[in-house]
Amino acid sequence: MGYEVKGLAKSFGELRVLGGLDLEFPAGRVTVVLGPSGCGKTSLLNILAGLDEDYSGEVLGFGPGKASYVFQEDRLMPWMSAMDNVALVLRRFMDRDHAMATAEEALAAVGLHGSRGSKPGAMSGGMRRRVALARAFAYPSEVLLLDEPFSSLDLRTRISVMDLFLDLRERDGRSAVVVTHDVREAIYLGSRIATLSDKPAKTRDVFDLTLAKEDRGFASRAAASFEARLYESILS
Amino acid sequence: MMPGTRTSRAKADAVLAVAVLAAVWKLGSMAIGADIVLPAPERVLSTLLRVASDDGFAAALSATALRGLASFGISMALGVSLGFAAGLSDRCRAMLAPALTVTRATPVLAIILLAMIWFPSGIVPVFSAVVMAFPVAVADVAAGVRSTDPRLLDMARSFGVPARDIAARIRFPSAAPHLASAARNVIGLSWKVVVAGEVLSQPARAVGTGMQNARVMLETAEVFAWVTVGILLCAVSDALFDLLSRRLSWATK
Repeated sequence: MGYEVKGLAKSFGELRVLGGLDLEFPAGRVTVVLGPSGCGKTSLLNILAGLDEDYSGEVLGFGPGKASYVFQEDRLMPWMSAMDNVALVLRRFMDRDHAMATAEEALAAVGLHGSRGSKPGAMSGGMRRRVALARAFAYPSEVLLLDEPFSSLDLRTRISVMDLFLDLRERDGRSAVVVTHDVREAIYLGSRIATLSDKPAKTRDVFDLTLAKEDRGFASRAAASFEARLYESILS
Repeated sequence: MMPGTRTSRAKADAVLAVAVLAAVWKLGSMAIGADIVLPAPERVLSTLLRVASDDGFAAALSATALRGLASFGISMALGVSLGFAAGLSDRCRAMLAPALTVTRATPVLAIILLAMIWFPSGIVPVFSAVVMAFPVAVADVAAGVRSTDPRLLDMARSFGVPARDIAARIRFPSAAPHLASAARNVIGLSWKVVVAGEVLSQPARAVGTGMQNARVMLETAEVFAWVTVGILLCAVSDALFDLLSRRLSWATK
């Protein structure tokens, strides 16, 4: 099933944030929405997640409960262990034991089996991001929504968590929408990149990436030349 | 500075503060020179020891403690349930607001006097303390529930977490530190109002009754001794709640 927004518009009072956005998110692919900071990318994700219903236009395929949302911040409950944090979002689908077992598996998949009993306060930023990813992948959704999920991490941790995300998504096959302002991150993650104009945001260009994984790295020349095209699109 | 050094410095400061207070008290009593107005601290201490060795003291102390704890338990039960409702629902908050404003604005003596018309003397202090203390708990708990991080609530909503899980697993733990502060405020107020209620309603066994009897006999040192007993009850409960607050703040970190 495909996902799409048509003529999506959103305002905060007098401020028009999304100005009639048309965008397709092909099923089973990672679509990166790339735009300048404050152009309405988070507003777009909130609408796709069903958190914001005050908009005009059409939203097809998305809806409340259909998406796993990885927010800019970890949004983990500081009083709960990593496992309880993941299990909390699973409880409406399964009993407690099953939810805990699923959470344990999800944490093992992100390399945190040994820290499943730890609270977020005792974890590094990278570990907390992994817990947030485990929660998103454990949740039986149709699509993953990620809001600048790696921007708070240092480069080395960021690459390792992004690799983990790509690996899990590849195995899982779920559709994903990632919003970011970081061009290199967009190239690293996306199989399709949509650039947005500044407020009120509209789709500027859509690029289907054919670069191999090894050509997307932060030190890759091929990625650097593609980067120039993306900057051109954003700044035009 | 090492944490251990800081703790012993704080302890030394507390001892010094008590010593200064006792010195000022002693100087004051010497300047006035009349025990009936302001007895010296050592006289109050010896009276306290005498009162504590009296037959009826343990019964009076335990009856007052029981009244204080009963008031505390009832106030917290009411305060937590109504505070939670008020924190979750604007409608509940609006419905509770007039009753809470009236009870908060009513003088404690008016409540005790009315309670003396309605209830037997042993119940008067408990009723009065509950009426005075539960609105404090309602306000604290409601503020705690409303202080839940809206980003966590958005996260839960995006994952479709059921409302009962949001209440029990997110809102309630968010309110936990406020709950400890509510408990501390309620117990402090409960002791004060219970003793005031006992002074006026004169139950057979009570710290307040001892205080009132001593006042009638113009035994000022004994009044001070009973006041000290009341203060000690309050200090012990304060120390316990300090401990509880620390544990709850660890639990939420």
